[in-house]
Amino acid sequence: MKKKIGIYGFTGCAGDQLTIIHSEDKLIPFFDKVEIVSFRMAQSNNKECELDIAFIEGSITTEEQKKRLIEIRNRTDILVPIGTCACFGGIQSMKLGDGKYMDRYRKVYGNNKITIDKAFESLPLNSFVKVDYCIPGCPISSLQFFSAFTKLINDFRPVLYEFPVCTECKWHENQCLLTEKNLPCLGPITRAGCGAVCLDHSIPCVGCWGPVDEANIAYESKLFLKQGFSSQEIIKKFRMFGGKASQELVKSLIKNENK
Amino acid sequence: MRTLKLKKGNLDTFLAKISELGELWGPRKKGEVYIYDRIDDLRDLVKEPVITFLPIKKLFLPPRFQMLHYDGKIYEENINQFEQRIVYGVPPCEIHSLLIFDKLFGLKYKDPYYFKRREKTIIIALSCTPSSACLCKSARTHVIEEGFDLAITDLNDFYLVWVGTSKGDDLIRAAPELFDKNVTQEDIQKFIKWREVRDGKFKKSIDFVTMPDLMDLNYNSHIWKEFAEKCLSCGACSMVCPTCNCYDVIDEIELGDNSVNRERFWDSCMFKEYSMVAGGHNFREAKAERLKLWYTHKLKSFTDAYKKYSCVGCGRCVITCPVDINILSVVEALLTGKVDKDSLLTEKGK
Repeated sequence: MKKKIGIYGFTGCAGDQLTIIHSEDKLIPFFDKVEIVSFRMAQSNNKECELDIAFIEGSITTEEQKKRLIEIRNRTDILVPIGTCACFGGIQSMKLGDGKYMDRYRKVYGNNKITIDKAFESLPLNSFVKVDYCIPGCPISSLQFFSAFTKLINDFRPVLYEFPVCTECKWHENQCLLTEKNLPCLGPITRAGCGAVCLDHSIPCVGCWGPVDEANIAYESKLFLKQGFSSQEIIKKFRMFGGKASQELVKSLIKNENK
Repeated sequence: MRTLKLKKGNLDTFLAKISELGELWGPRKKGEVYIYDRIDDLRDLVKEPVITFLPIKKLFLPPRFQMLHYDGKIYEENINQFEQRIVYGVPPCEIHSLLIFDKLFGLKYKDPYYFKRREKTIIIALSCTPSSACLCKSARTHVIEEGFDLAITDLNDFYLVWVGTSKGDDLIRAAPELFDKNVTQEDIQKFIKWREVRDGKFKKSIDFVTMPDLMDLNYNSHIWKEFAEKCLSCGACSMVCPTCNCYDVIDEIELGDNSVNRERFWDSCMFKEYSMVAGGHNFREAKAERLKLWYTHKLKSFTDAYKKYSCVGCGRCVITCPVDINILSVVEALLTGKVDKDSLLTEKGK
């Protein structure tokens, strides 16, 4: 029996769902090998039923989204966040936990009351439900997504790199921007999977695949300090794509700064 | 071993001639770094000795390559399609790294992916003079006795060419008129002088012989924890090390026809998931343990097993690690018990 797959999007740019749709060479088997029961960006007549796998893009920013996420979790076997927003919170959570959420809210909406739903600071999916795997990227790489997708529909565990971008960058023999050009590159603390695409064009890594589990933020920031960046600039850099994970990581830096 | 002389102006003619016998490979410039690559135009080949970004291992075991393809019924191994190659410009330290690989991959189950490429590759070694991070004299890898087909030493006025194998001799036979068999006493003196000058140029040294003992003594040292605090676990050291050879294997399934590509790619014991086993157990979860493993392998256990250090002294880790964890800083710590926590490989930018 074909596996039942749902693809959903919450708060994000929809770039991850778009990456799937843009993988033209895979589209026919994609719709053929499994039953895509729900994928609003790609088809009509979606039905909400029991699922084998749910792939979810975007972060959670409202009560309604939270409810819907929990509801999807309850009827799917496997839940996989796709994209950095769903995995870590994305750029919309770069200020997470700074205590100024309401100020920002008022700056955008003034004193107008939003009545349809209650919004809160952007959070990744794993803040509310158990996630089984994580396919990061901004947007995701088609190669990595379909590798994981094909594994999952065949009942294998997907292999998602946990090593940093530096490894892929070295494979491509790119001159190190961090040590040779004194540029602030987040390669050593960022998940690989992108294929070091920015580095191949001599652009330092901005960390859009999210931080690796073992991100050594203390020494990465020492490198940037030596390059002449201020602590504030460094924290901003770490938090741009790092979402909730980097919120935790920079805590130690902020503590040191306040000493 | 036969030795010949080659006139300076004849190198290009010789390389052009032998490139008819196989694909010519060697160092070429990519941006500001040098890489081993296929040379289609001799003008792209860097004839002087250089340290390439990735070592020669990439020509025998590329960072990522397809091992086999399985179509659901039969599998096909990708080991018979390699073209004959001639690689120019391999420095002595890297010749030693290949000799290490020959041993490692040539045990009971020979690694066909390595040896098929090795058999199809003729090696022209090129003597070099040390740069600031070179440690080959300490590692005794500045001289070569085997592992090459031809070896060239640049003695300013001419090249001295050592013929290491019959394959190397075949290359000479492709253009014998370019070579002079008459090596004079004066030439020998020039070579001896060149060697003295080279040997005097090393800025750093390591007493490798004493390292196995020091590794033992430092087994519970705090230095490993201190290095672990610095380590970014980025894997860069393993990627650029000529003797690091660990790899991972993955089966990639094609969505359309369920065919499988088995791929092999470089791995590093610096990664947490490297020593992860079934059930999620990890026997080297702490970074300090992983760092200790890396250096134990280079400085001690390989010596126990193969009577050879597995550091060939190329200096790549010295110029690569952003937080200055490398063969020099680790040996320094083994000797003094001190880790310089502030040494970093970056400068004020912007």
